[in-house]
Formats: sequence, C-alpha cells, structure tokens
Amino acid sequence: MSADEIPATRDPADGLAAVAALRRLADQLEDAAVEQAMREGWSWPQVAEALGVTRQAVHKKHAKRLIAAGVTLRRRH
Amino acid sequence: MTAFDRYLHSVIERGALEAHEDRSAAIEAQHLLLAIAAGREPTTRQVLASAGLDRQAIRAALDLEFERSLNAAGVSLADFDLPRPSPAPKPPTQLGASARLALDRMATVFRKKDLRPAHLLLGILQAEAGTVPRALALAGVDQAGLVATVRRALPGQNG
Repeated sequence: MSADEIPATRDPADGLAAVAALRRLADQLEDAAVEQAMREGWSWPQVAEALGVTRQAVHKKHAKRLIAAGVTLRRRH
Repeated sequence: MTAFDRYLHSVIERGALEAHEDRSAAIEAQHLLLAIAAGREPTTRQVLASAGLDRQAIRAALDLEFERSLNAAGVSLADFDLPRPSPAPKPPTQLGASARLALDRMATVFRKKDLRPAHLLLGILQAEAGTVPRALALAGVDQAGLVATVRRALPGQNG
C-alpha cells in the first residue's frame, strides 16, 4: 500500500469517532425504517430478513416501542 | 443513603431522561454531563459556567460532534430526511460504557466517604477519548484547564 492512499492528516480519533457516530445513525435509521415498514403492514419475519437478523432479535429490539406508539402489528410468525 | 448517593441517583435519573431524548439505549457519560449542567448543584454549575458551559451549550456541542464525526466518514446528516421514529416507551436504565468508565475513575481514586458532586464531574471530564472530550474541544473548551478548575473546587483543595 502506498503512503498516499492514506491521507496524511487522518487522525485515528476521527476514524473511531466516525464509527461511533455511524452506529448511532444506523440505530436511528433502523428505528425509523422498522417503524415505517410495520406501519405499512410488513411482518416481523419480513423485516428481520430485510435487516439480515433473526426475527427474535428484531422483535425484542422494537416490539415494545412500536406497541407503545400504537402501531398495529401483524402476527409475529 | 449518603448525600452523595442521593446526588448520584438524581444525576443518573436526569441522565436517563437525556438519554431517552437522545434515543440512546443506554445512559452515557454525555447524558450525565447534561444532567449535571441542568441540575441545581452550585459547585458543578459554577465550574461548568466558568468554561461557558450550560446544558444548552453542551447539547449544541454534542450535536456538532455527531455531525462532524459522520463527516469524517463522508456522511452528511443533512442528506438524511428521516421520519422521526417513536421513542422507546421508557427511559433507559442501563449505564453505557462511557458512564461506567466515568464512575470507575471517580470511585478508584477517591474514598467513598469523601465523594462530592464535583468528583462525579471530574470523572466525566477526565475521559481521554470519546464523545465528551471531542464535544468539549468543538465548543472551544480547554479540557485540561476545566479539569484543573474542578480539582480546585474539590473540598480540601487550596489551588
């Protein structure tokens, strides 16, 4: 790898902070996208498959929030 | 329960509300800092005010830090037109890694019976990396200077 492929001013702190910020943004995107899908009638297995996670994981992470928000949920399985 | 325990409990409770508002699944160090800035404890408020920091200024610095950190990865927050998701039904109760580190820094250096509100602020401000130091730098705050100010405000310190 040649030296000019890595910008000379790149501070590792910026790279690490970017990772933390991207994770936070991804969580926000996930909350919004899952809610939108469920409001439009997607099922848990469909959302799980689209996210590439198990339906148990997506249900555990989002069900309480969506129920509290009054979203009508399709059956889990 | 000591006076400090009650203080710590109140900061964590308020921090949970800040975390909830932030859509965070855990209470992080920045939420404790916001809670301290929003609280009524005079020593910590004075120390923060001496650096131009109140809750609003810290919130603005944290928002800027998020934006700039995303920029470092070539992502612009302005490009996202997100529908705002519904909040979690309850504020989080779990302390995140950064908050636990702040509490550890406080508890390993000082004896429990000596702890005062400024010790908690010191533990938060002594972070060497992460969201809080980056936000402080973006707000133009001299972190080392602020840490020194907190130390001077601790009981038994004469400068």
